[in-house]
Amino acid sequence: MKAAPVSFARDGPLRVFVADEDSARRATLSEIIVRAGHELVSSKGDADVVFSATTGSRSQYQMVANGGEDSERSGVLDLDARIDQIDAALRAVAAGLVVRMPQVAEIGFRAIDEVDTDELMTPRELDVLNAIGEGLTNKAIARRLEISLHTVKFHIESIFRKLGVRTRTAAIAKASRLHRTQTLEL
Amino acid sequence: MATQSDILVLVSNALAGRAGAAEGDVAAIRVAGGGHRTATVWRPDLLVASEQSLPKGDTFDTVMAGGVATTARLVGRDPGTNVALLRLAQPSALGISGNGMTQTGALASAFGADGNGGVTARLGAVNYIGPQWHSRGGGKISARILLDVRLSPWEEGGPVIGAGGDRIGISTFGPRGRVLAIPAETIESVVAVLLQHGRVARGWLGAAFRPVAVPDALQAQTGQAVGLIVLSVAAGGPAAKSGVMPGDILLAVDKTPAMRVRQVIPRLDADSVGKAVNLDILRGGALVTIQAVVEARPVT
Repeated sequence: MKAAPVSFARDGPLRVFVADEDSARRATLSEIIVRAGHELVSSKGDADVVFSATTGSRSQYQMVANGGEDSERSGVLDLDARIDQIDAALRAVAAGLVVRMPQVAEIGFRAIDEVDTDELMTPRELDVLNAIGEGLTNKAIARRLEISLHTVKFHIESIFRKLGVRTRTAAIAKASRLHRTQTLEL
Repeated sequence: MATQSDILVLVSNALAGRAGAAEGDVAAIRVAGGGHRTATVWRPDLLVASEQSLPKGDTFDTVMAGGVATTARLVGRDPGTNVALLRLAQPSALGISGNGMTQTGALASAFGADGNGGVTARLGAVNYIGPQWHSRGGGKISARILLDVRLSPWEEGGPVIGAGGDRIGISTFGPRGRVLAIPAETIESVVAVLLQHGRVARGWLGAAFRPVAVPDALQAQTGQAVGLIVLSVAAGGPAAKSGVMPGDILLAVDKTPAMRVRQVIPRLDADSVGKAVNLDILRGGALVTIQAVVEARPVT
């Protein structure tokens, strides 16, 4: 009798220790862990992953697999990372991988970019793109924006074309990078 | 007659000599977590660091040449030119390089602090020198100097020194990890303003924007294909006070089309504070002109 292949399925929540001396910040970080679907532990020794946030002009989330060294900083995410990204990063770090935001060094000290008019979306398309980023189905998007399903699909086609992508996941990834680099505060 | 290997030895020793001399030009600023950032000793009692790399704080432990420990107190920060200015509790007694210019193709050494009072060295060509430019933060930088060097994250903010030993500027990470030098001339003007006022005044509207395509149906009416959609409005800021709302599409500032961001941002310089500007806005399919009074950008 042939042995069944062994599969590794870690579907359960990870045990996460939130490391922060400030109680208000610790509460905020803890809420994020719970929303990401994981379990909080009160002692570092019991944790699979240690989660914290750096302070300073470019704050980021940091996660380290328990037993990993602090200086390795196995997982670094920007503060605007989505919950599903934080969940994925926690799991990857627990599995011994290194996680970074895409092209973190891309921002840097930059000149004012001229606007590339071909890539720009209309306000409606931005609404649809934000909704896709939140994980809404096309039907839910239609309901939220009070437009027909047909119109939603029409907008999505245009969005994909302007972003140069073919899947929803790629659209979300590219959109979040564009959002960071295109947002201007005046 | 000097052989080829003699010349190389001469050049190498000269470069090593520069690095030794640069010990007085760099300082290590300790940051939380045990690491450090490089700062340039701009004057015996003043440090200039890369603003984007410096964590928030008022006073920092600092390591100077030879491992001498002291502290540095923040004088001011200007994200517009990436300059953070700090005052040393104990001025440095070592020689500091003087300012100078460079040219495309010339050699440039970028020095960093090693954290223990020594230096790290990088060598490359000046890749490109372009004209005056404006950063996204609204600062005016006198020249766009790109360097063919790589830097480690903690080396940013150190002096960039030319072959003659002159200080060309301060190393800075641009987009995608490219290395720029903020020219010494720009640093000098910003240092002067920070010493006097603790900040560099900039005009502020108090809103976050991103570029959008004007919906086809409205392009004819507005005569423009691109606008800046308001993402958020700072509570109590000039935009909020004048009734600008998220979702509004900014088409022009005093008739300068919003898409020409390179022309719009310089209009919000220090001189614009207190002046009224006319904002042409598309709201719900209708054209509206709103007047806002520019305020000084608040310190973050």
